[in-house]
Amino acid sequence: MSDPEATKSLGCLLNGIAQKIYFNNNEITEDLLKEKFYPEMTQEEFNVLYEKTEGLLKSIARADMDHAQLEAFLTAQTKKQGGGGMSVEQTAAIFRFWKNQRVRVRESLLGQSRWEPSLKALFWRVDLQVVDSCGNTDNSRPVVLIEMELVRAEKNEFLCLEFDEVKVDQVLKKMANIQESINRIVNHT
Amino acid sequence: MSLSQVKESSFLGGRIPPEIEAMSRNLKDVDQELFRKLLKAVVSALEGKDCREAMKSVAESSVIPQERLSHIIAGMHRVLSEAIRIPTMLLKQEAFKEDLRELRIPEDFVSDFSSVVFGNRRAALEAASSQRDPQLPALEDFKWRVDVAISTSSLARALQPSVLMQMKLSDGRFHRFEVPVSKFQELRYNVALILKEMNDLEKRSILKIQD
Repeated sequence: MSDPEATKSLGCLLNGIAQKIYFNNNEITEDLLKEKFYPEMTQEEFNVLYEKTEGLLKSIARADMDHAQLEAFLTAQTKKQGGGGMSVEQTAAIFRFWKNQRVRVRESLLGQSRWEPSLKALFWRVDLQVVDSCGNTDNSRPVVLIEMELVRAEKNEFLCLEFDEVKVDQVLKKMANIQESINRIVNHT
Repeated sequence: MSLSQVKESSFLGGRIPPEIEAMSRNLKDVDQELFRKLLKAVVSALEGKDCREAMKSVAESSVIPQERLSHIIAGMHRVLSEAIRIPTMLLKQEAFKEDLRELRIPEDFVSDFSSVVFGNRRAALEAASSQRDPQLPALEDFKWRVDVAISTSSLARALQPSVLMQMKLSDGRFHRFEVPVSKFQELRYNVALILKEMNDLEKRSILKIQD
């Protein structure tokens, strides 16, 4: 296999493994990856390569390495003697992959330790109640109908609520407090 | 004019509800004291209060058979609910009284009905009735906590703030969910936008619809 092609195949293998272990893509299997990107390799050779690449990816992801850390880590890997060493092209493929996927992989890993449902989307509509069942038209007041989409373990749940103006104002004030707390933490760290 | 054919403008519409016809038939021999006790219990029921005890004591002390009392109570409930749902600007007190007179309801009782519908209980009745309008649950209590995940089983150094929110709804349900910081900014922006929309809507009087 020529070098540019080997680099390309490694990039594909990294993406495939990431799809499988971080992005819950069940369609990707080891056999499929072998067939697509390393058809000429023996099963045994491929198993070694797969395990090594998966191990590297897990180490990089778990430490959420930045560029400098990754560079140091990969330099150490290339200097490894014997069959475990890496070529410059291979490290370049890993750099490229990590540059593109770092944020997504980190999000996925954070999600693995999230047990409460998480807010995914918010939909709302402001209505003016014009007349009620009493025929009253004099207390027409705006209300907002809010739908929050919560996700837990791939299951979506919708929470629908009604707010009047006073309540929206109260919630907004609480949110200003939350923002202050977040800012304090972010500035502190 | 027969009971089922009243003039078009009756607040009860073209056809008299059967409960009201039955009430009218059963009011014979009912004295005003009993009528007022029943009316008071029906009003408190419409206001959403528990009137079972009051009804029980009226039924026990009355000489009128319970079946007749049931017809009267059902009719009173219907008269009041129908009358309350029409705005006062559309239903005049005199017209209301006239409609009841045409149903052969005794004059004293007509006055009692009228004083409930047009008296100072009206606001409470309207408020109680609008509580029954279809609506989504409202937010009763909102608690929050900001967490920072330091390290997790999958990430050595997470240092990721997130907001945990707990909402108690008016239907008694609790919802607890996590809001990632980026989502929190979006949520806050939207809530601010909603408030602005609501303020703008109130300022614009063009939407104030008058009958």
